[in-house]
Amino acid sequence: MGKIYRYECRRLLWNQFFAGLTVVLLLYGALVLRGVTILGVSHTAPFSPWSFGDYLSRMLPLLWLGALTLLSFFTSPKARRAEVLTAAASMSPRRYALARCLAALTGTALLALLCLGQAALFYGWYFGWYGWGSLAFPTLVTLVPPLVFAMGSGWLLGKLRPWLLYAWMPAPFVCGLLPLPEAMGLWNGSFFIRYPLTLERLDPAFSAPVSVLLVQCGLLAAGIGLLAHSPVKAVAERR
Amino acid sequence: MELKIQGVGMTYPNGKQALKDLNLELKSPSLIGLLGPNGAGKSTLMKLLVAALLPTAGTILVDGQPLVKHERAFKERLGYLPQEFGLFDELSVTQFLDYMAALKGLRQPKAAIREVIESVRLEEKAKAKIRTLSGGQRQRVGIAQALLGNPPFLILDEPTVGLDPEERIHFRNLFSRTAQDRLVLLSTHIIEDVQSVCDQLVVIHQGRSLFTGTPEQLIHLAQGHVGVFWERDAGQEQGLHITARVNTGQGIRCRAVAAQLPAFVKVEEPTLEDAYLYLLSREVSA
Repeated sequence: MGKIYRYECRRLLWNQFFAGLTVVLLLYGALVLRGVTILGVSHTAPFSPWSFGDYLSRMLPLLWLGALTLLSFFTSPKARRAEVLTAAASMSPRRYALARCLAALTGTALLALLCLGQAALFYGWYFGWYGWGSLAFPTLVTLVPPLVFAMGSGWLLGKLRPWLLYAWMPAPFVCGLLPLPEAMGLWNGSFFIRYPLTLERLDPAFSAPVSVLLVQCGLLAAGIGLLAHSPVKAVAERR
Repeated sequence: MELKIQGVGMTYPNGKQALKDLNLELKSPSLIGLLGPNGAGKSTLMKLLVAALLPTAGTILVDGQPLVKHERAFKERLGYLPQEFGLFDELSVTQFLDYMAALKGLRQPKAAIREVIESVRLEEKAKAKIRTLSGGQRQRVGIAQALLGNPPFLILDEPTVGLDPEERIHFRNLFSRTAQDRLVLLSTHIIEDVQSVCDQLVVIHQGRSLFTGTPEQLIHLAQGHVGVFWERDAGQEQGLHITARVNTGQGIRCRAVAAQLPAFVKVEEPTLEDAYLYLLSREVSA
């Protein structure tokens, strides 16, 4: 399984598409950091968890797009033609799907780390600020649930119909335009702008209401559930 | 290795019945040619044999065990080349074979890869990216992955498609050598491929088995049913199936098969192709 994982990582990460995506991500990140984050959000410092969370929520649609595009390497019609060979091999479909999922997750994690690294560089360069530990919680809450959900839902949709994966790509952009309820504020970024103002303190520490955390936990659980379900579905599809 | 196909039927969800009550016994060592016109059910049978599909009727037994219950163990002994397949264009030939070796769980992948690359004559392209290969070379990569690890059961669906004549002969000989100690099922519509290497034939038509036996037995079946005649001598004969027309200096010479040859037709010794066409024409007439 390790070898399949390494080959899949090579296929996904060592190509022009991934290089292009990295460049776009970094350029957009620089634009957000130097245009929006530098000013701080909701009267907080640029390096506050709130400003950083706002930066992440602005990067999230691109990361979602990147994650789904990585999955398209496994669900495209071209990839399906290769499946007639791989499905005849003796490796269990579950293990094979797991190796591929892990490779796509690695690619997505790498893109996310690039965003984080860029922010870290920005904070160090502009403000001489290196207290990254305080940003861990907003990072986990903001990025992990939607990206795991993107992998799970994308894998399932792509296996059902390859075009569904492409139709799913603009979902976070659509969320950004919708007036979502407060509990889903992380989905369109409004949480980082509105919630600190309700705390009525100067530069408050990062916190999130239970409803927001529950929604994110639900999203994470759904993503994990879909990822666990997908290989079973892949086996059933052959029948 | 022994495969028993017992009363196998396959009806697709759209209602198309691809196979009907198929009964076959395949034993190693043997090179079995699977013949049949397009849409006869050959590819469906192959998909059933690699467990890519489940039969809607009947059972397939591998060494007495149901294939569906021992799918993984069976796949460990299987090499499969489908009619249409894709490769990972971004990998080199060696890398792709290494990938397939990992999927097949091979313990000595390097030696196995070197061996199959030599078998399919791709030494010069071993490090080339798959996207740079021609159609014939891609087909050879497909054959190489099927041969990886010397599986005791090989299923090859139209393996010589896209290969030039010299390569076709090379691969025919390779399959023939391979079948000396293994079971090879070769599906093709190129009778020449089958004639030269197969020791057993299975002819499928409209999802049913029309013939199972040796090429000699099939040829024997067509004795007295194949002949040649000048086209100018022929009238409006019924039941005469022309299999070849050749322009000569004296006119057009026709070769035909029929249940009853008319008087103006000179009886000829049948070839395997004649025999196959006779079998099909007999079925169509019936």
